[in-house]
Amino acid sequence: MIASRLRSAQPYLLSAPALLVIGLLFLIPSVYNVVLAFQHLTPYQSPGEAEAAGLENFTDLWSSGDLPHAALNTVLWLTAATVVLRLGIGLGLALALESPILRRWRLRGVSRTIILIPWMVPQVVAIAAWRWILDGSTGVLNQALTGLGLIDQGVPFLAQTSTVWWSIIAIIVWRELPFVVMVLVAGLQSIPAEQYEAAAVDGAGRWASWRSVTVPHLRPVLTVVVLVTVIQTFNNFVYVWLTTGGGPGNATAVLATELYSAAFFDNDLGAGAAIGLLMTAIMAIFAVVYLRVTSTKGDSR
Amino acid sequence: MTTARSDRMTVARSRPAPRRASRENRRPRDLVFLVPFAVVLLVILFPVIWMLYSSLRPVQAISQGITWRNVFSGLSLDSYARLFEQTGFGRYLPNSIIVCVSGTVITVAIATLAGFALSRFAFRGRPAVMLVLVATQLLPFVVLITPVYLLFAELRLLNSFAGLIIVYVAITTPLATLLMTGFLNAVPQTLDEAARIDGASTLTVIVRVIAPLVWPGIVTVGVTTFIAMWDEFLFAQVFLTSDSLKTVQVGIAGLFGEYGTDWGVVMAASVVAALPTVVLFSLLQRRLVAGMTAGAVKE
Repeated sequence: MIASRLRSAQPYLLSAPALLVIGLLFLIPSVYNVVLAFQHLTPYQSPGEAEAAGLENFTDLWSSGDLPHAALNTVLWLTAATVVLRLGIGLGLALALESPILRRWRLRGVSRTIILIPWMVPQVVAIAAWRWILDGSTGVLNQALTGLGLIDQGVPFLAQTSTVWWSIIAIIVWRELPFVVMVLVAGLQSIPAEQYEAAAVDGAGRWASWRSVTVPHLRPVLTVVVLVTVIQTFNNFVYVWLTTGGGPGNATAVLATELYSAAFFDNDLGAGAAIGLLMTAIMAIFAVVYLRVTSTKGDSR
Repeated sequence: MTTARSDRMTVARSRPAPRRASRENRRPRDLVFLVPFAVVLLVILFPVIWMLYSSLRPVQAISQGITWRNVFSGLSLDSYARLFEQTGFGRYLPNSIIVCVSGTVITVAIATLAGFALSRFAFRGRPAVMLVLVATQLLPFVVLITPVYLLFAELRLLNSFAGLIIVYVAITTPLATLLMTGFLNAVPQTLDEAARIDGASTLTVIVRVIAPLVWPGIVTVGVTTFIAMWDEFLFAQVFLTSDSLKTVQVGIAGLFGEYGTDWGVVMAASVVAALPTVVLFSLLQRRLVAGMTAGAVKE
């Protein structure tokens, strides 16, 4: 009797440590973040000294005018632009990796390794390397462009508003592309060869077999890739913070950097929590809408 | 195209007969595809080559232009010497290793136990646990930073390795558990049942029977976890305020000067910081890619 009860408790005991750390670091802070968003608190006070703030954190954020700008930057430049570029280039590279030409020339292994390399480089390191390449006076890109006579003097890519977003986008796409390529390659490899053969027997050309075999098979993989990359990029703090810190001016301010500076530079943890809550809400809405749209599309197919 | 040609030659030498048919299919027309593709690969590779190269160039040459004559002149390890003499990198490196290695060991242990429960028992609440594991993958870390900061301030865990290790264990545990469950599902259950009949306890079964069988999986989960911890910047930056405790990634961020940056030193630091992940990734490339993409696609 006792033995069997012990045995039925086992799965709970075994998963207890995992659930404990997840609860401590994800669940409790998530709930506490909601509470904090409605309080005034500095990092030098203990949570007991917090004052009730009502909706002040939210109204202050809105009236300061920075928040809509940062939200638009986050959605459009940081997330949408980089995800679209990653999907486009990633799909091209995945198809190239799977092409019979590379197999014929026995170049698949080498190509695959080269494409993977940016993924092995830590984000902070990728940013450091690119900051040096894009450096306004002595960076190699500027030296090459002046050497070729394309420009007269160095362009401070990360310090002027007309180029800064494109520079950040280049860094993100470079570092995060391999993940997309590898997931898509896995998706392409999971398509049974017989289906292409069947399509060929039915007289389908290259375009028709792409439309009738490849695209439908890739759709669920693409759904997951979009979901994961959007959520990870939307919430990313490092790329913008370590390239420009949100500058020049506030040209590249995004929600994640606004959260960080509100909480740890302006010492307003409540304001930081309010931005965090807003970010979570945007992502939750995005995930629900996106999953609904993609799943109904799958049904009508 | 030189790489293509040399690659083809080495292959031709090592495997002559069976590949002949496919080699004869190589058409000049293929170059229409191969040349642009090679250019794309070069663009992808360039930042890494440039990082490595710049770390070896002497300081005075770094601001001068490069000409064909001075490309390889005066290369030295000078920047690396300056990195370890003039910055705190000699400390940051062991700091990162201590935090990441101990964090990895704890995460792998926790994930193996939880993975065993999820793989072997159909217990009530199992679907909820799986849901929580997947959901945490979608939760933004940056949102957690403020409440976790306050929580750890109360627990007096800020500015200590212990605090950072707990955070790292927590953020890596969900994915590690999902991966571990997958690896354990592949081990036939009859094996641990047999050991049980012989009277072994659950822990004995895991350590003596399961762990040796699922060793490649444990290594994959360990390396994935280590890389995630090694790369982490935000929590390390916020939690470790005293310079002597900083990790490598925070150290690099600190090298960007307000007025003028010593790029030789920054590139040397970048090479050092990238080395562990590049080495681990290359050693286990295939399995890691499979594991990491499966972790993302799993639902």
